Amino acid sequence: MTFLGPIPAATLAWVAGIAAALTISAYILKMRRRRFEVPFSALWKRVLDQKEPSSLWRHLKRLLSLFFLLCIAGLVLFAALDPTRGAANHDARNVVVLLDASASMKAIDGNDDKNDDKAANPGKTRTRLAVAKERAKLLIDSMGGGDLAMIMRMDGQTTPLGRFSSDGPMLRRLVDAVEATDTPADLHRALGAAADALRDRKNPLIVVISDGAFPVEQREQVRWQPAAPGEKDLAAIDLTGIDVRYVNVGHRKDNVGIVAFNVRRYVANKAAYEVFIELENFGDTATQRRVSLFDGDLELFAETDPGKSTLDLAPHTRVRKIYKDLPAGTTGHLRALATVPAGLAPDPFPLDDEAWALLPARKSQKVLMVTADNLYLEAAVLAYDNIVPSKITPAEYAANPAQASDYDTIIFDTWAPAEPPPKNAIYFRPDAAHSPVAISGELPRPHITDVDKSHPTMKWVTLSDVNIDTTHVFAPDASKGESVLASSVRDPIIVAKRDSGHKYLVFGFSLTGSDTDQVGSDLMLRVAFPLLLVNALDWFAGDDSDLITTYATGVRQRVPLDGAVGLREANLTAPDGVSQQKAPVLEGLATFYADRVGVWKLSAKFPDGSELPPLELAANLANPSESTIAPIADLTLGGRKLTEPEAFAITENQRLWIYLLLGVIALLGIEWVTYHRRITV
Amino acid sequence: MALLARKDDRPQPGALSRDPRVGDRSGLFDDRFLKTLEHLHMVSRKVFAGNLRAERRTRKVGSGIEFADHRTYSRGDDFRYIDWNLYGRLDKLLLRLFEEEEDLHIYILIDCSDSMAIGTPPKMHYAMKVGAALTYVGLANLDRVAIMPFGDRLLGRLPPSRGKNRIFRVFDFLRTCPLGGQTDLGEIAKQFVTQNKRRGLVVVISDFYDPAGFEAGLNTLRYHKFEPFVLQCYDLREAEPELHGDLSLVDCETGDTREVTVSRSLLEAYSKEHERYCKELEEFCTKKALPFFRTHTAIPFEELILRIFRSGGFLR
Repeated sequence: MTFLGPIPAATLAWVAGIAAALTISAYILKMRRRRFEVPFSALWKRVLDQKEPSSLWRHLKRLLSLFFLLCIAGLVLFAALDPTRGAANHDARNVVVLLDASASMKAIDGNDDKNDDKAANPGKTRTRLAVAKERAKLLIDSMGGGDLAMIMRMDGQTTPLGRFSSDGPMLRRLVDAVEATDTPADLHRALGAAADALRDRKNPLIVVISDGAFPVEQREQVRWQPAAPGEKDLAAIDLTGIDVRYVNVGHRKDNVGIVAFNVRRYVANKAAYEVFIELENFGDTATQRRVSLFDGDLELFAETDPGKSTLDLAPHTRVRKIYKDLPAGTTGHLRALATVPAGLAPDPFPLDDEAWALLPARKSQKVLMVTADNLYLEAAVLAYDNIVPSKITPAEYAANPAQASDYDTIIFDTWAPAEPPPKNAIYFRPDAAHSPVAISGELPRPHITDVDKSHPTMKWVTLSDVNIDTTHVFAPDASKGESVLASSVRDPIIVAKRDSGHKYLVFGFSLTGSDTDQVGSDLMLRVAFPLLLVNALDWFAGDDSDLITTYATGVRQRVPLDGAVGLREANLTAPDGVSQQKAPVLEGLATFYADRVGVWKLSAKFPDGSELPPLELAANLANPSESTIAPIADLTLGGRKLTEPEAFAITENQRLWIYLLLGVIALLGIEWVTYHRRITV
Repeated sequence: MALLARKDDRPQPGALSRDPRVGDRSGLFDDRFLKTLEHLHMVSRKVFAGNLRAERRTRKVGSGIEFADHRTYSRGDDFRYIDWNLYGRLDKLLLRLFEEEEDLHIYILIDCSDSMAIGTPPKMHYAMKVGAALTYVGLANLDRVAIMPFGDRLLGRLPPSRGKNRIFRVFDFLRTCPLGGQTDLGEIAKQFVTQNKRRGLVVVISDFYDPAGFEAGLNTLRYHKFEPFVLQCYDLREAEPELHGDLSLVDCETGDTREVTVSRSLLEAYSKEHERYCKELEEFCTKKALPFFRTHTAIPFEELILRIFRSGGFLR
């Protein structure tokens, strides 16, 4: 008899004591007698005196009732111990089955496996994961009476699917429920979780069922001996005393996949863009792939242009291809697809044959310059494509401020309206009374010493030699979405602001000065000036050329959210459009973890009910290590070669808890009948 | 589930209990009751016409007109009663004795102990109604009727009176007489015979639940030349209680507690024992030639009265 229950003996003793106390209390309550008034107790005395010889039996009957109750409590507690009939198997093992559910397990080569039952599974449509599940179930079926197993899914994260159990059908159901994700496997994390789960358990065993597509560095971060005093290899997983076995699945390696896919606009011509695609042939033979590029459902390459779209791939080589001057499409969803030309063997791993990138929508901007007359400013604006400039004087603007709504961006030159426009705007030396950012003072002859290079407007811009007569000094308030872009020592003189969906760029100094205020700067003579304007207009349009348009699956990344002040949480919608998950937001950065390849949608609501403009994120496998689907038959961990597990010792195993519960029900029935038939009262 | 079966102290359906209204006797003797008594009286005269007279011969030898016996003359006797014919024949002075005619004394003893407060309606109310009915008939027959409620002692005394118009005093007395105490027939009988020297019919209306036994009390009455008339009254649910489960039985008079687990067999045994107890009382009365009636509160009291009339013994 063995006990498989998870309840420690001390805990069970406490529970038994409490249950017994409760049972006896209930029995005492049950035995509490009601007072009843009779006119002549002598008659009862006579009757009872005649029955006195049977009083012992009566006491016994009452004790029988208590005995029933205690038996019921005892049986329930005994069932909680999960007793199992059969000889105790001291060689019983505690097993963690690490079932690889990473992207490479989607490779379709199941029926070619040497251990696969080809008769039972005709065709070649089975994935490696299907084979791995079969192996896991074979392992479960061979478990002995004392063996306990826990199933863990291993992909970019490690997920235990249940507790240690010897319940074969339940374990099989857990295995059946495993689905592969589009993330690379994190063996290091999985081994750590398995080692933690097996700590202090007898005969620990880890069985890794995988194709072995793990990076070398993960395979080496393992320690088989306890750390020596002073050793500081904290990253290594301590597998001391744990038997680690490996079940290999898969055999094909002739995969070709897209390992990089990116898109960028031209700085000078925002209406056009170019894409970068990198393919790698992981097989041992040369092959070809036809690359297709789609903008939504529109294929950009003509099928009749094989020279442009068909690539020759030598064994174990990468081919990089840049496709230039592609026209802006309608959806902004770019999809690259590597297909196998006719006559060649099908690709065993379709997941990495497809990649996504996003091209932010681009449109020309209507810019209104509110200036007395500033040729430098007009010339700089005209140098930018996709701009439709207009110019009015401050007096004209003040006469009709509503005209601002007809433009995308307003530039105020050494003047500021009483009310900020409901559009994005650039201010050069605004009036102190009407400045969108609070002004704390004036600074003569400032030198720009610090520039926030991380801000989109300050990219590729150098302001160190700009000469300025006098400038406002701002007092930005971060809680209002204001941030410092450039400062003179500690005095902010260029500030960016995000305010209820609008963006402002405020300079404390003027370009040329005004009629009344002859203080200016030589910024407009610098190369930085048109670049600064272009950057600002791009920032206003949400077109950040440095924006990461593709993310790798299985990697936790932080995505900047434009204007996400006060936001704590965002919603992520998976590429299937159905699955939803939450993404925490901290300091304007959303945490993004993609487990599916495709285009994700990120949305959020501010506390005041307004919504963040939806953001799309493209996620690709983009992991050469995962695309290397060639199975590793001999997996080595920390210098130790892993072997396949033997079948577990089969022992007679019969779980008794169901019979004990049936006994409890029977006893309850007997107690109920005897009580109501007044036998045990 | 039996383990969790709810227990409370509420009386079980059909179980006996002390009626909280036992002290309220204001509605016992209303006009309707009086009409019933009158009806009973008329019926009794019809049924027993010719036999029923108010007068009653006693064994007391006195100044009646009907010859009873002779006895030897002794000095001081009234020699008007010397039977001179016998003196002529026997040469002995013998005195003629006559039966003295006198009114019958009827004593109604009503048990008002705690045990009589049990039942629905309380046995005590039933006993009072029966006592009042018998009193009415006695008064109407020009007998002298006295009423004495008792518990562990005589709780009061309505002196002997005669005539139907006295019935209202009887009602008032029964409405206001004190109640309670344990049944002690032996002590009651002693008190009774001490207080009442005139012999007569003693109607004892009780449940006869006396821990010391009923024999001593009845024998005391007999030994003092009274004629006990035994009327046992009980509640049907005393004989066949509908109880079950674990109970603590408390004697309503003595306070004795007895823990029992009532089962069907125990109830059957109790019913038999109750019947046996009643039989003992009946056999005792039969053996001693005492009129005995047993009734329960479910029988209308007028039916009991008629039964008593038919069987004789109360009215002669």
